[in-house]
Amino acid sequence: MSAMAYIAVSFLVVPLIIIIINNLISRKAAGKVSLYMACACAVIQMASSVTDFFLLSAKHLHEYKFTLLWNMEEAGAEHFGVTSLSLVILFCIGFVSLISVLIAFKTIEHKKISYVNLLMTLILGMNGMVIVTDLFSLYVFLEIVGISSFVLIAMFQSETGLEGAFKYLVMSALASIFILTGLSFIFMYTGSLQYSQIGDILSVKDGSQQTLIYAAVILLISGFAVKTGSVPFHSWLPDAHQSADTAVSVLLSGIVIKVAGIYSFIVLTNLFSGVPAINLTLAIMGIVSIVTGALLALRQTHFKRIVAYSSVSQMGYILLGISTGSTLGLVGAVAHIFNHATFKSTLFANAAALHEQTGTLDINEMGGLQKKMPVTGFSNIAAFLSTAGIPPFAGFWSKLLIIMALWKNSMQVYAGIALFSSILTAAYFLRMQKKVFFGKVPAKYAELKEIGGSIKFAEIMLTIVIIGAGVCFPLALMYLKGRGIL
Amino acid sequence: METVIYICLGLMLIFGVMAVMLHSMTKSAIALAAASAALGIIMYEMGAVWTALIEISVCSGLVTVIFISAISLSNMDKKELEKVYEDKKRMSLLPVILIVSGVVLVIAAISAGVSLPEANQTVNTSGDLREILWNNRQADIWGQIIIMITGSAAVVVLFRERD
Repeated sequence: MSAMAYIAVSFLVVPLIIIIINNLISRKAAGKVSLYMACACAVIQMASSVTDFFLLSAKHLHEYKFTLLWNMEEAGAEHFGVTSLSLVILFCIGFVSLISVLIAFKTIEHKKISYVNLLMTLILGMNGMVIVTDLFSLYVFLEIVGISSFVLIAMFQSETGLEGAFKYLVMSALASIFILTGLSFIFMYTGSLQYSQIGDILSVKDGSQQTLIYAAVILLISGFAVKTGSVPFHSWLPDAHQSADTAVSVLLSGIVIKVAGIYSFIVLTNLFSGVPAINLTLAIMGIVSIVTGALLALRQTHFKRIVAYSSVSQMGYILLGISTGSTLGLVGAVAHIFNHATFKSTLFANAAALHEQTGTLDINEMGGLQKKMPVTGFSNIAAFLSTAGIPPFAGFWSKLLIIMALWKNSMQVYAGIALFSSILTAAYFLRMQKKVFFGKVPAKYAELKEIGGSIKFAEIMLTIVIIGAGVCFPLALMYLKGRGIL
Repeated sequence: METVIYICLGLMLIFGVMAVMLHSMTKSAIALAAASAALGIIMYEMGAVWTALIEISVCSGLVTVIFISAISLSNMDKKELEKVYEDKKRMSLLPVILIVSGVVLVIAAISAGVSLPEANQTVNTSGDLREILWNNRQADIWGQIIIMITGSAAVVVLFRERD
């Protein structure tokens, strides 16, 4: 077995081992070490995905297929596969999980063991979604992501948490029905749900049952749109993000909606590239999400709700990138997935810091906190400038690629609206920045101090990543050009 | 054959409603197992023999055992649970409405002679169970294992007071 195989297998095996250890050792010991084990798991995942990415690149392979535990050496028996794209997503999963654990050190006092158990099942679900090579297996792992997310939102049993979790559960169940019915139609038509076979079968079939495929695609798009939180299926997202503990909100916004929704859309567009209606639908959904999310964010007064609506808006940009169907658009979308993971993690780390220090997240109750919490204030500025796509921050480059891809695909109107919406993004974040960090400090916060410990560490690390990624982005583009991808 | 399927569909609805509406977690888990068993019969009748066996053994059997084990680990006070369901009188008509709707739908389907859709003829269902489970659907086996772990963790964390 090659080094690549061991690394690829670790994406499923390491979180499982953490769950087993977490539950086998005494509760007292588990309470002390469980968060550290989760940290280790996230770091191993990041290191594994980076190593596999460069191994794949060095061997000039597009995809590495593998199997687990049995028939490992048997060619043709593989059920999992990693590509450069999936490895970037796997890195993002590890990265956001690490930030979530760093926040959890401060925000989660009780139920640490359960949090780690569920975080590991969530990571397993997301990793599984990214590495499977079959639509039904994708659905199975999607369900794991849905169940884990629901319990993570509800586990602290606050009234708002339970309400948010219930909304998520209902919408998630609805999405599952859509997706499963869509898969049934595809299976009825093609007799297979393997990625490698669907395209081949569709190309040789006559067009007598095209309606079935269109119905399947509509159902799948609706189901994945619920998971992404795109307009008009976004109603669950702000409630779930607001009501969950911040360590959970960062997971939902930072990675869950991307893997459960966006990654599924990427798979869908690859498999059904012959159905042009998919790209048009994604483009319309994307542009509506960008504008609606930004306009709704302008009206919010709760820090986490602003960030949640911002996620709705930013998912729109990623959908627009995918909708172009071009390599440039896809690279832009994947870059924006990474950038969104970094700046949303920063904003949620800031939310955790503000909540820990002030006890509220209502922006009308805050003011002048830049003087009291300079690290949080600065990281917030870096995150919002990156979200708005201001150069040289990382968000600028990914948005630029998406807009260039739209322009090249004769979608100038979409490009224009996307560009204009960056002003809206800047507007709602400037309003938030002004209300929270600028102006006079309220008397009740006169003795307020900067957050310390793991959240401060996360804020500093994320700010460095946002600025560093922006500065180094041209190098990444040159690397892609050198490999012939761009 | 179709009559059995329609009756099982009705039973699935009834047990499904019971699983959601019952106040006892244990009874709810058993109702879920019964709904799953009815689904297993439908699958068997439609020719998916191995899937039916897995549905009955894993979903209806093993998962129920795990659920009940996890429920026994939880320590939510029964009186406290009753308080949560104080509004049960307001909702008392809902299961009746759903069950009656289910029965009406079953009768309507049987009397109208609604035919079931035909599966794609190219689908090969003749494979050996071991081949299907361990080789063809290996990724799903992993998924099932993780779903069971997630379900157990969920029940423990939602119905236990604190770690």
